[in-house]
Amino acid sequence: MKALVCEHYGKVDDLVYRDMPNPEAGPGQVLVDIAAIGVNFPDGLLVEGKYQAKPATPFMPGGEFSGTIAALGEGVKGFAVGDKIFGWHTSYGAYAEQVAVAEEDIFKMTPSMSFEQGAALLCATSTSHYALKQRGQLKPGETLVVLGAAGGAGLAAVQIGKAMGAKVIAVCSTDEKIAFAKSQGADEGINYSTEDLKAAIKERTGGHGADVVYDAVGGDAFDVCSRSMAWNGRLLIVGFASGRIPTLPVNLTLVKGYSVVGVFWGTFTKKQPEDHAANMVELLQWFEAGKVVPVIDKTFALSDGVKAIQYVTGRNVKGKVVIKP
Amino acid sequence: MKALVCEAYGEVDDLNYRDMEDPVPGPDEILVAVKGIGVNFPDGLLVEGKYQFQPECPFAPGSEICGDVIALGSNVGNWAIGDRLISLTSTFGAYAEKIVLPADIPTPMPDFMSHDLGAALLGATGTAHHALRQRGQLKAGETLVVLGAAGGTGTAAVQIGKAIGAKVVAVCSSDKKLAFAKEQGADIGINYSKEDLKAAIKEHTDGRGADVVYDVVGGDAFDVCSRSMAWNGRLLVVGFASGRIPELPVNLTLVKGYSVVGVFWGQFTQNEPEVHAANMRELFAWVKDGTVTPIIDTVYPLSKGIDAIKYVTGRNVMGKVIIKPDEEIS
Repeated sequence: MKALVCEHYGKVDDLVYRDMPNPEAGPGQVLVDIAAIGVNFPDGLLVEGKYQAKPATPFMPGGEFSGTIAALGEGVKGFAVGDKIFGWHTSYGAYAEQVAVAEEDIFKMTPSMSFEQGAALLCATSTSHYALKQRGQLKPGETLVVLGAAGGAGLAAVQIGKAMGAKVIAVCSTDEKIAFAKSQGADEGINYSTEDLKAAIKERTGGHGADVVYDAVGGDAFDVCSRSMAWNGRLLIVGFASGRIPTLPVNLTLVKGYSVVGVFWGTFTKKQPEDHAANMVELLQWFEAGKVVPVIDKTFALSDGVKAIQYVTGRNVKGKVVIKP
Repeated sequence: MKALVCEAYGEVDDLNYRDMEDPVPGPDEILVAVKGIGVNFPDGLLVEGKYQFQPECPFAPGSEICGDVIALGSNVGNWAIGDRLISLTSTFGAYAEKIVLPADIPTPMPDFMSHDLGAALLGATGTAHHALRQRGQLKAGETLVVLGAAGGTGTAAVQIGKAIGAKVVAVCSSDKKLAFAKEQGADIGINYSKEDLKAAIKEHTDGRGADVVYDVVGGDAFDVCSRSMAWNGRLLVVGFASGRIPELPVNLTLVKGYSVVGVFWGQFTQNEPEVHAANMRELFAWVKDGTVTPIIDTVYPLSKGIDAIKYVTGRNVMGKVIIKPDEEIS
């Protein structure tokens, strides 16, 4: 099969589109003919050796995918050949034509779901769901500030924040992105390249500060948010798309009585499988109700996967980017 | 009345024991004869100008008292002369023989409690209680690591941690303090001046890390704890007795899936008075049945208040230090 392979840690440009041996479904696993692959910000960090996990080379990056089950390994109970599924490859390897994964890591697509939507639903959307529900304990009527609100995870946070009944403030770098975030449900927008972020959060929250901040950006935006939190607020640490990991003087949390809350969805799915499964049930209900629907910005061919990753890490995406074999 | 007065920000030694005019209650205030004053670590920081608040000089420091109502403002209906109470005072002024308080702030003190116990209870125990209940959401069976476990609020955290049903690991700087923390109920002790704190936490949690850390110390101990947290852990930021405010690389919270949770009890009592009142009911019940007992290390007369503050900031206290007006000491 064809795959996009990382031969050694280095530049995204160095990924090689080449033949790899077809995977086989081991016990408890299914073999999937991949129809679509979701591209995520950490995919680029992973091949550059800057992510927290460092698989042995050569490997295929990529975590989330959708497709059709081609074969069942021994002991698989919940699925049949021909089932349309979407899933998550915990040890990477989704940038390929086929993948073998444990049946716990896949979910049946709903009838109205396209392969592109399925491939875009799991990582960004589930991260945002877990972040806002389990970690952020977001409540109806609270104010949620979403940094990077036009990106894949940010947009999912906007949609889920609205589904949970919060007032959502989208923070973006351009008016075009803000318009897009508002078209997806954001109540307010802040363009931080033209407005002072701290003053704008204060003004948009009537001086109260943010109850919850969804931060997949880090850097300067985090620094500002760490001084813009409401009493009992939760500042969710999801990622560092800005490239700078912030350092927090922890007395800020004391004086304002807020929390800085780390969010690591991948580990959550392993440590709390029942909560993860319940989240997926809720997420699929929201999807069917039209409340949380991934927006596909662009689709790339697997042979152009390098461009897909670069498009995502260039931070100009509106919604999700998908690769197809 | 006599008071211990900060005339200008500077050394604790410069505090002045002198006469001040008796305060007069406004329409919604009460006048209280102070019977006991709780000494807290921030009292020293306050007079040095190093605390988050800087009241105008001259002022009497101190933020918690126990006393009796001796005069009522014209609108006050919820207090009678002679009522016993404990109270936080967000505008300071506790280091005095009398204090005026807004009528809606103090908590009536149950009959079974002495004035000394009242003076020792509120700040240290109230902080630990709020930290572990509301902010830390500590659950039975979880592991609680208490830094500065022999100090006033550390001792309270040990006792309350046990009352909630946690396994309590006390961290102290000497074997003597550890023995004291264990007398208060700690299951395990770590002497960080002899043991490697990170390795010891790992060992005592079977490699899982700490579910909840109660940190009144900051500095190096915080840095170690920020790398010793369990999945879904809560690192409670309560104070900085070490003198250094830590700087946290926030990716640590992401990789381990834990939270750094700020605890500001004084603000809590104002922002969430109903939850505070419910906490006090639980706390009084615990004191009554002996589950939580403030331990008084030393009682100082108000005229020796400087010594009391220096004893607390010297970090050798085991339990609470309280001050009493000179004529209350028989």
